[in-house]
Amino acid sequence: MSVVAQAANPIIRWEWIVDEWDQIQEALIQHLELTILSVSLGALVAALLSAVALRFRPMATPITGFTGFLYTIPSVALFGLLVPYFGLTRTTAVLPLAAYTLLILVTNTLAGFDAVPASVRDAADGMGLTPTQRVIKVELPLALPYIIAGLRIAVVSTVGLVTVASIIGQGGLGRLILDGLRRTFWTPMTIGATLSIVLALVLDGVIYLIGRAATPWAQRARTT
Amino acid sequence: MTVVVFAQAAIPRDIGLFEFLFGAEYWTGAGGILTSLWDTVVLCAAVVVVATVVAVPLATALAHHGRGELSVTWIVTLSRAIPTFAVAGLLVPISLRRGLGFEPWPIFIALLLLALPPIYLNTYTAVKDVDRGVVDAARAMGFSERHVLFRVEMALGTAVILAGVRVAAVQVVATEPIRAFLGGDGLGRYVRDGLGQNNDNLLLGGAILVAALAALTGVMFGLAQRLALPAGVRRLARPRTR
Repeated sequence: MSVVAQAANPIIRWEWIVDEWDQIQEALIQHLELTILSVSLGALVAALLSAVALRFRPMATPITGFTGFLYTIPSVALFGLLVPYFGLTRTTAVLPLAAYTLLILVTNTLAGFDAVPASVRDAADGMGLTPTQRVIKVELPLALPYIIAGLRIAVVSTVGLVTVASIIGQGGLGRLILDGLRRTFWTPMTIGATLSIVLALVLDGVIYLIGRAATPWAQRARTT
Repeated sequence: MTVVVFAQAAIPRDIGLFEFLFGAEYWTGAGGILTSLWDTVVLCAAVVVVATVVAVPLATALAHHGRGELSVTWIVTLSRAIPTFAVAGLLVPISLRRGLGFEPWPIFIALLLLALPPIYLNTYTAVKDVDRGVVDAARAMGFSERHVLFRVEMALGTAVILAGVRVAAVQVVATEPIRAFLGGDGLGRYVRDGLGQNNDNLLLGGAILVAALAALTGVMFGLAQRLALPAGVRRLARPRTR
């Protein structure tokens, strides 16, 4: 590419953002949808797996081992493996993305429940709580900070991986990156990449705040 | 002028999966699997070597002097959040404007950011967690600071440090295929071409190659990890009952 062409092709051209705002907004919404769908599915499966691992302790090692195995499958490969079966659909994007969240979600959930002091558990039993009540009213709230920490990491890394899902035509901010690359026009690339980083930080902040609101006692303990 | 020329491999549309994976003609030659594999391996090796050379001394020094505790908490959070595709995407225009081309700098830097945290974290924890009694004993026996560092702290931490390198290597190999979508080649090209040409078997074959290389990397580093343990540490690590 010639020097002249490069000079006319700045890293960012502000008019483009105004002109193509609809397109940017659409990509952002698609990105958000894919992230929420994937993390929700991941959280649901992780909750089931964690429940099994907590109820049947010997299952904990195979379950974390399996989620760890899923995590090491390259994303490009996993998308590629699913395309022949599910086509270039949202399912093909969401299944791998959800699978990648399992490792951190299950690990953190188990760590959270393990961190509940035995004395607290005994006290709950002593107060006459049934095991189900104990898990829901005592252990789950105490494990919540760990679960939320896992959720934050899961969301942030999923936002990053959704950009890769653009290779199977699922839109999102990655599509802007691919578009810019295909046309050697840098503005969409810069916008797509920057917005995906900003989106990750914003969602991280949102979950952090939700977590704070959900665990008021943690703040009280910190201040006193 | 079109800059992104997606190289059209001479792979027939109706190719069978096994035909592609086991056909000698697809492995050799320009654009063959071996060339792509080599491209990937060279880039990944360079990334892991540079990351190790940067992260291990830095983390060792900080942990040895008991500093940078906060860096660990920060890096744990950051390490899973690095959007490699976005980072590489941001770097491509910068690289091109500087006349450095599509490759390899953008993807190299993006992968380096991915490789540094696990190596740094494991080295830091490894050195930090060495039994202080052992370190004191070494000092009492007249080991110099340098010997304490190399022969005690790093030697005892070898397994954990290498585990960090392994995690980094697997992640780098697993992520490198996005390079094929950022104007480069490497092993990810068959997935890209399979998608672009709507050729499912090429796509599947490419995905299998990418996944296999990542798995192989994990296994090989696992073996290296075992072999590289200092004899004394290996003896200690062996269960007592046997």
